[in-house]
Amino acid sequence: MIDIAIIGGGPAGQAAARQTLAAGLSTTMIDEQARPGGQILRQPPAAFAVKGWMAGRLYRPLRHLLAQTEADTRLDWRGSTSVAGIERIADHFRLTLSGAHGGTLLARRVLIAAGCYDMPVAMPGWTLPGVMSAGAVQTMLKSQQLVAGQPIVLLGSHPLLLVLAMQILDAGAEVAAVLMPQTYGRTMRAALPHLAGAMFAPSPLIAAGAAMARLRLAGVPLMMGARPIGFTGDGRLEAVDYAWRGRTHRIAAQVAAVSYGFLPQSDLPRQVGAAVRWARPAGGWETLCDGAMRSSVPGLYVAGETTGVAGADAAMAEGEIAGIAIALDAGAQPASDMARAQARRARLQPFIDLLRAVADPRDVWPQATPETLLCRCEDISVAQVEATMARLSPMADASAVKHRCRIGMGLCQGRSCEHALVRRIAAAQGCDPDAVAPFRVRFPARPLTVDEIIG
Amino acid sequence: MSRIVDGVTRPAPITVEIDGAMIPAHPGETLAAAMVATEIYRMRDDRSGAPRGLLCNMGTCSECFVWIAMEDGWRRRRACLTPVEDGLRIATHEVPL
Repeated sequence: MIDIAIIGGGPAGQAAARQTLAAGLSTTMIDEQARPGGQILRQPPAAFAVKGWMAGRLYRPLRHLLAQTEADTRLDWRGSTSVAGIERIADHFRLTLSGAHGGTLLARRVLIAAGCYDMPVAMPGWTLPGVMSAGAVQTMLKSQQLVAGQPIVLLGSHPLLLVLAMQILDAGAEVAAVLMPQTYGRTMRAALPHLAGAMFAPSPLIAAGAAMARLRLAGVPLMMGARPIGFTGDGRLEAVDYAWRGRTHRIAAQVAAVSYGFLPQSDLPRQVGAAVRWARPAGGWETLCDGAMRSSVPGLYVAGETTGVAGADAAMAEGEIAGIAIALDAGAQPASDMARAQARRARLQPFIDLLRAVADPRDVWPQATPETLLCRCEDISVAQVEATMARLSPMADASAVKHRCRIGMGLCQGRSCEHALVRRIAAAQGCDPDAVAPFRVRFPARPLTVDEIIG
Repeated sequence: MSRIVDGVTRPAPITVEIDGAMIPAHPGETLAAAMVATEIYRMRDDRSGAPRGLLCNMGTCSECFVWIAMEDGWRRRRACLTPVEDGLRIATHEVPL
């Protein structure tokens, strides 16, 4: 049995491992990718050599942490491995793993630092090959060193699109357009209350300004107030339709990169019974924790986007806090001071609030039609979901709808559709999404072979 | 060509077979990357026969499931998490088990 299993090799998991390893705790880190780094520093394959990889100044602390992690021979790194199950048994946890290091792992404590994923947003034509999440396009660039297609259109409410546009230009490719549904005025009004506080950590703001200037210089059309309508094409994406200044437009695209925000990975905390709440502003489930990142389950800690999407700097700070708490709870001596780590995390909050307000998609969602698929795994349309909801009691929860029409029953376990279903139920019932009981999360969190289940 | 060439050194290409066609891929690449680099965006069909492709590229959404020929038959795998290997055979249509 090991002292601590860390699920996720991103900034949060790595920062925690610095503390647990310094405290002498046996530490195992599990990640679905072959190499540590998380999505923010998704590494190229080991067989590649990439000159000046992720050289930007904003990435410097992350690169430093990654170098420390990779150089630390005490860390038991298990890449290319998924955690499909987590159970609490008496005073420890049992993890069910699949992939390169499949099998069972017993750990006295567990830190879930599993990050987040792009919020899938249902709109007409969104299942056409070539329509991808912005994160997919970005990780193709960072890791595989390839531009997913040309021409490429970026769309959605999240300012990550500006960073992605710049990275595509840096790769020597072109960006056909960036379509953001919120107007410039709405963006400024949303940012204003948070600006003063965010000035304590201004580097992301400066980077955003630099990105906008760079796009203008390169002649990339950044259209604020352009509302994406849907995707068209014969067998694959050929064009994006959007509304702009009262008229409908069509722009050719081989690939569309979509970003309306991010959802915390919540299957493992929910599977083991940790308390969660509806994430602000737009949904998903963030795992609740105390000031030392302890979840409601004894021995289970959470850090980074698992606790609410807040970016890599917050993830690093939370990972450090969690690592210190794990060391202290295990009766060991941590390397860093808890109060200082907590203060560092607190200083980041105004910028996080600003980004959430600016990126808030709730008044600029694209409109799904009755034929639009809401559940991409079981091919369940908006019309089928609405008909099912109409037949059920008005107070039906998400699981009741799932059992009647199979929404959320497929391979992704509802990760793509659950947030949208809960929002629809809340709207129908006139209540807060937090008041709607979500799906009951079941083993396995990732697809397994029969061999892996029977061991 | 969508692979970035400037400043990037890759191992010499191998070939993988997708639906009977041979495509180039560099060791270390994921299957999803090799397919996208060859402008193969369709990775499976849904129940209505409509084509589907890569969505999240991080193992979360399961949209990129393809069939891979293994010693003991065809197995479904996420293309975004599967590294290419020389001689790999992939099918994007359902194959008999």
